[in-house]
Amino acid sequence: MVAMPSLPIHCRLAVLALCGLLAATSARADLADATERLAACSACHGEQGEGVRGAEYYPHLAGKPAGYLFEQLQNFRDGRRVNAQMTWLVGSMDDAYMAAIATHYAAMPPRTRPADTGAETLTEAMRQTAVRLVEEGDPARDVPPCTACHGKALTGLEPAIPALVALPADYIIAQLGNWRSGVRHAQPPDCMAEVARDLSPGDIRAIAVWLSRQVAADGAGPAPAGSFLPPRACGAMPHGEAP
Amino acid sequence: MRSRRLAIALLAALPLLLLILTIGGALLLFQGGLEPYRVPRDAGTPIDADTGLLAHGEYVAAIGNCAGCHTVRGGTAFAGGRPFTTPWGTIYSTNLTPDAEAGLGDWSLPEFRHAMRHGVSRDGVLYPAFPYAHFALLDEADIRALFAWLRTLPASDYRPPPNRLEFPAGWRWTQVLWRMLHYRPQNPDFGAEMPAEWRRGRYLVDGLGHCGMCHGRRGAMGSLPASGYLAGGRIADSGWYAPPLDGQQLARYDASELADYLRSGISPHGSAYGPMGEVVYQSLQHLTAEDARAVATFLKSVPPRTPPRPAQGEAAHSFVAGAADLYEKHCAGCHGRDGEGGKDGAWPPLVDAVAVTAPDPVNAVRMILYGGIAPTTPGNPQPYSMPPFVEALDSAQVAALANYIRVRFGGQPPLVTAEMVRARHGIPAH
Ligand code: HEC
Ligand code: HEC
Ligand code: HEC
Repeated sequence: MVAMPSLPIHCRLAVLALCGLLAATSARADLADATERLAACSACHGEQGEGVRGAEYYPHLAGKPAGYLFEQLQNFRDGRRVNAQMTWLVGSMDDAYMAAIATHYAAMPPRTRPADTGAETLTEAMRQTAVRLVEEGDPARDVPPCTACHGKALTGLEPAIPALVALPADYIIAQLGNWRSGVRHAQPPDCMAEVARDLSPGDIRAIAVWLSRQVAADGAGPAPAGSFLPPRACGAMPHGEAP
Repeated sequence: MRSRRLAIALLAALPLLLLILTIGGALLLFQGGLEPYRVPRDAGTPIDADTGLLAHGEYVAAIGNCAGCHTVRGGTAFAGGRPFTTPWGTIYSTNLTPDAEAGLGDWSLPEFRHAMRHGVSRDGVLYPAFPYAHFALLDEADIRALFAWLRTLPASDYRPPPNRLEFPAGWRWTQVLWRMLHYRPQNPDFGAEMPAEWRRGRYLVDGLGHCGMCHGRRGAMGSLPASGYLAGGRIADSGWYAPPLDGQQLARYDASELADYLRSGISPHGSAYGPMGEVVYQSLQHLTAEDARAVATFLKSVPPRTPPRPAQGEAAHSFVAGAADLYEKHCAGCHGRDGEGGKDGAWPPLVDAVAVTAPDPVNAVRMILYGGIAPTTPGNPQPYSMPPFVEALDSAQVAALANYIRVRFGGQPPLVTAEMVRARHGIPAH
């Protein structure tokens, strides 16, 4: 565990609880023969979880925090997140196998190329909207900057906040839409549902197209747990006071 | 004058009326007389719930898979709300937690026993989506333990949505008519002369495990006639095909392989997927080794109700051009060039597999479209998986492949068309 000197005690406990959950369920975390075992996942997410070339919708998994991936698998199984293909595949899967799969993809090198979605062109106006919202947010509408939680480089924060760079634009638009309409849920408090509701459809398009073109060029993974403090309560993640 | 004519008319109708009454009376008797409709109101004797009894109750609930049907995805376990689609509309399972208003909180043991054995409760005559015809076999010890254990669950005040059924099925009393035509209570003494292991197996298959709910061939109006006993068929709710369960269908397994399959979901002859994967995951993985063995012994003794199927590849026919190449390219790496499987059965053989020998091609089409992962169980903690091909192949290619494997490895005629594949697009909700 990374030292977390600056965090209040309840926050440290929350991080520990999440890691503990993962550790407890990943006694079998070793995944021998992973590529062949997980052939079903590769079909859409790529053999190393790096995404499939030309895939217009599927997110990459490589290098995302294990805690985040683990929770998403549970969410598909338990109905908090809706995707028929995913639920079909993981409907009869236990926590231990999910934890092993999450740990496997978290250890893969993060993707270093942008999404190849052929999404619409990024106009200068869209670029400006996106950069402003991503880096500064919109205090008037109570929208925090994406970087406050997903990190300066937008590569996520251990143990449960995912990278945003290089995700297909259509995928981001669909996820934010699902949060707005209540189809996608995270562990409460569901901070992303609040954020998504405060964004306009135009904002969402601009952000999604802009993000799909960003990369973690140096292959950086998520920031270590506790290296900064997100401003909002999201699931069990430690957080500071809402600004 | 007028009244005389009426009297004559009545007199003439009398034989007809008598006939109707006699037939009605007989039909009522066949389904158990009036007894099923008298829901007991007495409080019954209190149950002395020690830990042994509760552990037994938990086992009964697991093998009866009460949670599987009485939990909606994402909902509280045992609180109900799972939808069951029937040709007459949607029925929602009920809340079994001890909440006084929404669940079974103020039910007595006699009322519970009555609902389980006869399918009638204070709420009226229950629909046969609830497998009461099977649960009629449950013995007193199992019912008591089950009831005592259900009362230890945390109470949930969740209320399932009201049923959405067409006229007249929405009226519960119409179930009396249905029962007169289609419900014949199980004979608890069937096979009394058989060895104890066989009888235990029959109890688990026909009673608690209600395997016939999926593996029985349905007759008119969703009924389960004796002629279709474990004869296999399309499951109305989810649209998957469940194979027959008998000595012929299960000849590929020896009894201990079959017992292992039930608990682990995997065997050298195939692994569980779709509804069977769920049943193994939620229920059968908890079978004790003895009970699994009893089920296997019983199933292998069931006489087949279907004619023996043709040998592999017997149906004379030429494959669609390119089907063999598609198989070689996309499938042979896992399932073997000759359908023999790989990795000690982790990649199942296709020779004689359920999906290729079934008269109904739906399982083959769905598996190719959406892939699968066998259930996680202690016997198979990290199952191998099959990728979905819904995006890599078009409907004509999927049809060609389904026909190719069914003809070559299962001896079935090539029935699948691209239109059928398109019609099967869309993953069943459960
Ligand atoms: C195949 C699915 C299925 C299984 C398995 C199942 N049930 Fe049910 N059950 C239902 C449905 C559907 C209903 C609602 C029927 C209706 O409303 O007419 C129901 C109704 C009931 C009722 C009547 C409740 C009332 O308010 O009248 C009881 C009691 C019950 N189930 C107990 C159980 C128990 C105990 C088990 C496990 C041993 C079990 N069920 C397993 C589907 C199932
Ligand atoms: C919810 C529906 C459902 C229920 C209930 C169910 N099954 Fe199945 N079963 C299926 C389907 C569908 C298949 C075909 C898919 C597969 O092979 O996994 C199947 C396959 C099987 C097979 C494999 C047959 C073969 O030839 O390889 C066996 C054995 C089996 N079931 C036994 C049982 C037993 C025993 C029970 C009762 C304890 C049961 N099933 C209850 C749906 C069901
Ligand atoms: C990466 C390995 C892999 C590949 C490639 C693969 N499969 Fe599978 N297949 C599996 C596994 C594993 C299962 C068992 C899945 C389960 O139990 O949920 C399976 C199950 C099946 C079944 C169900 C068998 C039964 O018991 O009824 C069919 C049919 C099938 N595959 C056909 C195909 C076809 C056709 C292809 C090529 C288009 C193919 N598979 C490609 C691994 C694979």
